[in-house]
Amino acid sequence: MRVQLNARNRAFDFEAEPGEKILFAGLRARVDLPYECGTGTCGTCKARLVHGRVDDGWPEAPGRKYLKGAGEFLMCQCAAATDVTAEVASFVYAADPGACPAAVAAGVVAGARPLTHDVIALEIELDRPVDFDAGQFMAVTMPGVPGSRGYSMVNFDRRARRLDFVVKKKPGGGVSEWLFGRDRQAARVELFGPLGKATFHPSLGKNLLCIAGGSGIAGMMAILTRASQERYFVHFRGDVFFGVRTLADAFYLKELAVFRREFPETLGITVALSDEDLPERAARDHPLLRFEKGLVHEVAKRAMQGRFQNVRAYLAGPPPAVDAAIRFLLLEAKLTADNIRYDKFS
Amino acid sequence: MGKRFVCRTGDIAANAMKECEAEGGLKLLVANSGGEFFAYQAVCPHQDVPLCEGLYDGAILTCHQHLWQWDIRSGSPRGLAETALERYALSVDGDSIYVESKSALDVGELFAGASEPTLAKLAALAKREEYDRGAVIYAVGDPAQDFFVLDSGRVEFRIGRDERTSPAGFMLRKGEVFGWAALLDSHPRRIASARCEERSTVLRIDGARTLQALEADPASGYLVMKRLSALIARYLAEPGAK
Repeated sequence: MRVQLNARNRAFDFEAEPGEKILFAGLRARVDLPYECGTGTCGTCKARLVHGRVDDGWPEAPGRKYLKGAGEFLMCQCAAATDVTAEVASFVYAADPGACPAAVAAGVVAGARPLTHDVIALEIELDRPVDFDAGQFMAVTMPGVPGSRGYSMVNFDRRARRLDFVVKKKPGGGVSEWLFGRDRQAARVELFGPLGKATFHPSLGKNLLCIAGGSGIAGMMAILTRASQERYFVHFRGDVFFGVRTLADAFYLKELAVFRREFPETLGITVALSDEDLPERAARDHPLLRFEKGLVHEVAKRAMQGRFQNVRAYLAGPPPAVDAAIRFLLLEAKLTADNIRYDKFS
Repeated sequence: MGKRFVCRTGDIAANAMKECEAEGGLKLLVANSGGEFFAYQAVCPHQDVPLCEGLYDGAILTCHQHLWQWDIRSGSPRGLAETALERYALSVDGDSIYVESKSALDVGELFAGASEPTLAKLAALAKREEYDRGAVIYAVGDPAQDFFVLDSGRVEFRIGRDERTSPAGFMLRKGEVFGWAALLDSHPRRIASARCEERSTVLRIDGARTLQALEADPASGYLVMKRLSALIARYLAEPGAK
């Protein structure tokens, strides 16, 4: 099917496979279409149908609440049923030539190990290697589960054959039921990506501030991995704030301590516990990490006081935590908007 | 067209902002910056997010969705923002804030640069009309006596002959002119149709009297005709090339 997409500044033409989501067809053709979650929740990829017909793969997608008139649809959920002409309100450009190209990928579940009582580390073995930037995510489709979900890569390698994800159990969630229900070893999954603009490159030349709630720590692990590989913290500071409810909800603490051991002078890692007084054993078991009581953005704000010059912030986690962090970084810490990076896809 | 009441000065705290509805239904974001008041379009030009949900420190307005930012005193874009905010002139009388009604003629590209007296004549010819969603402003074959400037809302433009019309590939936006056949001597009938995609306000202007006004001011007339020919050429180009 031919898709003609009229943007504010110009029109694009690209081909979509039968059944292929229009967003993914455009990204595959290196058209930098507007999107944020890519999985039907944020509404950023909404477009208006001008001509032709689309099939909506998920008419109950929560992102549809951002649609106004009839004729509006989510490009991440709809496939072209005929040749289609659609309109988006924003400016659209060709994808940055340096960006890792997004494509369809497939693989099998190679491991699923519990990190806490409601978080699983999911390991996917890919059929073919993929390239991605630290901080990016994949839209993952599990067999028999409608729609796809966004998960950030925890690992970072060029030509990666294996992707590590963090999956949080959500009561009644399709993926949770599928993954937490029983052994899924060797089950086939489909992926599309890499997606997301909250990426880290060592050429950045700024101190890093990572504020993550819960499973949002996943993308930060990739950023820390890349930064460590490049010995970035020899020249720049890194401050990581990881918010969880209680110590029992925290994970990757050993891995975080390994980063800290390598750069003890310049890398600080703080675990913020929102719902529990600091247990004594926290500091004893994890001498390289700091522990504080409070909401993660408040803990970060206190600890970073007076150190917001030349900082790039990466944010991830539950939307209220991300919004609260954006607010204090813009209004109080006076960071410029291009130095606050996040992808809302939870 | 006078001015319309928006709100009281006391409604908007120092260095705060609020969405207000002016008399007649226009939604505005009104911001207080150091005791001065500024008004802009109520939704973000990027993704239609209400700007009143954004962040504002008294100088810079930030849309919370994708962090587009603007200087509150001018509406000019900062940082990631790709386009300016549409500004509305305010006046304060006692403790009442009014918005100066802005004619679509002022923002329309067709008449930019025309002389003040000619613009005033055209504004006097303009009749403001409101249409509901789905209303057809004109259809193929209708007499082409008037042309239109879109003031608010969205109009879909379909081009063709008889019953066989097809979408021209774009929606009209504020300030854009349509129905320009009324400005051509040789086209007494519509060759396209214009239908409102949402509740819309247009300025209806008599074509023959506009031509008279332009003939009386050839310098402005030449500018307008030059732009009109560029506009027609754009409609003739492939759909979506706009």
